[in-house]
Amino acid sequence: MAQRGLPQSKEALLKSYSARLKDDVKSLLENFEEIIKLAKGESDSQLSRMTQCEQDTYEMHVRSANIVRAGESLMKLVSDIKQYLILNDFPSVNDAITQNSKLFRQKQSEADQKLMMLRDDMAADLYDLEEEYYNSVYKCRIAD
Amino acid sequence: MAYSVNVAIEAPIENQIQEISYDGTEVYQQPLSMSESLSKLAAKIDFGKGQEEKEEKPNEKQEDEAAAKDPAAYQSSLWPWDSVRNKLKNALTEVCVLSDVLAIAKEKRYLVLDPVPQDPPEIKAMVTVYARKKALGGAAAVLLTGAERLRTSQSELVRNRSVPDFHLELLQLRKNWRLKKVGNSIIGDVSYRTAGSKFAQSGMFEVSKAEEDTPSNWSPPPPQSPNAGPAPPKTPSALRVTLPSELQGVAFIEVHCRKDDEALFSTTVTSASLNTAGPMPDMHWQKKLEAAQNVLFCKELFNQLAKEAVQLPGPIPHMVVGNQIVASILPGIQLIIGLRHSTSSNSKKSSGPPQQKKSDHDHVLEHSIHQLLREVHHKNTHHPFPHPSSGPLGPSKQRCLAGPTAVDRHELTEMSKSQTLLEQIIEQTQHFTMRRRTEYVLDTIAKEVRDPLIVSHWNSINSPTKACVKVNILTHGYDTICRTLLTIHVGKKSLKCICRDGSVMNMSYEIQELRDLLICQIHQHQITAVQALAKCMGWQLLSNSMHLGVGEVQQMGNASSCILASPIGDRLIAVRCEPQAGVHVSIAHSPRKDFFPSQLVKERKWENLGGSYKEVRWDKMEGKNFLNKMELLMASLTSSS
Repeated sequence: MAQRGLPQSKEALLKSYSARLKDDVKSLLENFEEIIKLAKGESDSQLSRMTQCEQDTYEMHVRSANIVRAGESLMKLVSDIKQYLILNDFPSVNDAITQNSKLFRQKQSEADQKLMMLRDDMAADLYDLEEEYYNSVYKCRIAD
Repeated sequence: MAYSVNVAIEAPIENQIQEISYDGTEVYQQPLSMSESLSKLAAKIDFGKGQEEKEEKPNEKQEDEAAAKDPAAYQSSLWPWDSVRNKLKNALTEVCVLSDVLAIAKEKRYLVLDPVPQDPPEIKAMVTVYARKKALGGAAAVLLTGAERLRTSQSELVRNRSVPDFHLELLQLRKNWRLKKVGNSIIGDVSYRTAGSKFAQSGMFEVSKAEEDTPSNWSPPPPQSPNAGPAPPKTPSALRVTLPSELQGVAFIEVHCRKDDEALFSTTVTSASLNTAGPMPDMHWQKKLEAAQNVLFCKELFNQLAKEAVQLPGPIPHMVVGNQIVASILPGIQLIIGLRHSTSSNSKKSSGPPQQKKSDHDHVLEHSIHQLLREVHHKNTHHPFPHPSSGPLGPSKQRCLAGPTAVDRHELTEMSKSQTLLEQIIEQTQHFTMRRRTEYVLDTIAKEVRDPLIVSHWNSINSPTKACVKVNILTHGYDTICRTLLTIHVGKKSLKCICRDGSVMNMSYEIQELRDLLICQIHQHQITAVQALAKCMGWQLLSNSMHLGVGEVQQMGNASSCILASPIGDRLIAVRCEPQAGVHVSIAHSPRKDFFPSQLVKERKWENLGGSYKEVRWDKMEGKNFLNKMELLMASLTSSS
């Protein structure tokens, strides 16, 4: 299998991607839950009400910011995985190379063929033109 | 009446019954001593009770007594005064703490004692609700802002179809170039190392994401990438390619062929698009990378050539000065190969000279210089089979066949010789010069010599160091009677001419030799043609000599001649052809029609011996060319009688 051939670092990288995914999703869920809990407001503490409210407000802000961060981190993860795939997808690169080389070979043979035809035509025409030129009285000045 | 009854008053059983044996005997506990009784009572004191609880003490005491009656409770105590001691100790600790707190509180630096409001403030439920609502609202705002940001970035991608996705472009880039990820950056390579190049300079470049809203990197789409469809002419690229400074700009290799401080021709090795486009800082990455690859290629080529020029032993050592290699190819002719690298800063200055020399641009030499290095690259990676899979080198195909075909030492040493790039280029340039010279000589002679036409046909199949030209000498109007064919092989430093009679002439690079040969051939052609014409006219060939030994010595070659007799033999024509002086024609009558006997020649029969020749004033003759004049002359001299 291709998976077995992966070097250690690649393996670790893939694992870190999956860990990041889990962490971010967990963070989304946990923070949301915590916000809901705070909204219930059943905490008994010795703090005064105002302090408690202030603390709750602050905590909610931080937790919602955490949710946003986790979401953006997921986007970053998607982008990273895309990049990883693009850079390490050797089968598709090989396909592209094969396709390109096939295309260029085809172009080469086409160009060769055309050049050959052109050469033959030109040789034939050149023969006639040379014949005509050297037989004529008018000859151009020869540049050194 | 009094009789008394003794009433026994006994103390109640003071001692508690410890146990009753089976025979009914009661075993009593020993009564407590005074000290024991005291300690027992002391243990019952609850020091923790407050003042206010003291009223209830008598009741408690009763309870305590009841508890004390339980022997287990009493016996659990390890030491009679243990609980008392513990309680006293606790009390001491609390008093100490209290005193400490009071001491700190007195300082008023760390602790301030404030009266505790007796009544907690009234909490209004609505206030809490509003506070929560506000907190939730803030959290929701943060979430919405984040979501909005994600949404805008997504919708922008959808809306701006003209802005290609970074990953799509990266994929496109990956398909055409080598990329790898190092740390957080993406590194690419433009070098030809995978194609067999062994040049030390690296062609690393860095790929990064272009910043948003930068109209500076608007550029035409990649023309060479085969998969890219016809994109709109101006698309902003999401990729940014950062090249090292030594690979930026445009480079090309300039080749001059100089003859005594005069440029014969020059060629510039560069792709035409780069020559015109110039190094723009905001080029599309594909073009930018192609330019960088070209720079690297030119550098490698020049490096290789310079290395060879220094190492190559020769009669005239090659010089490498700065970015120029000067190699002498033929006496008086030098080949100058220069590396021109223009970065964006000085592009305008250096793009001037190549424009002027464009008329001398030689695509063939440009192509062959390219081809030579590519061939080297190809050889580096494509070894003939079989070769060891792990080894970088394998024996050549010739070497593989050397064993089975029993090659001797000489052939093997010949096999090991290989030409360097510079040698090959020099050879090609030599051939180029030789070809130019041959062309020049042929055209000049064709122009100078009007009478026999000189028609040359260049062979279309040739190699970079070998060409062939067929020269046809004929007279206009008489081309079926006689034509002289020559084949000239143009080599690297020599010419080989195969003449009509099969003789092979080898000539050096001096063009005068070829010119002399051609002029000799032209005059030989005239004599041969006259003979062929005479045959047609019924005249007889009396004598013929291609290399006449008489007459004045020619500067070049030999004069050739022939003598023709009319059908009835009464007229003679003598033709003498000299390469320098041209043609002389003389005629003689024998016998003369009118005979006047003199004292010396008395009889007519002596006239048959032939008389003296009279030269014909050839330039006054009628006729278009030499053969035509000869024909007319012969016709006029042919008598019917």
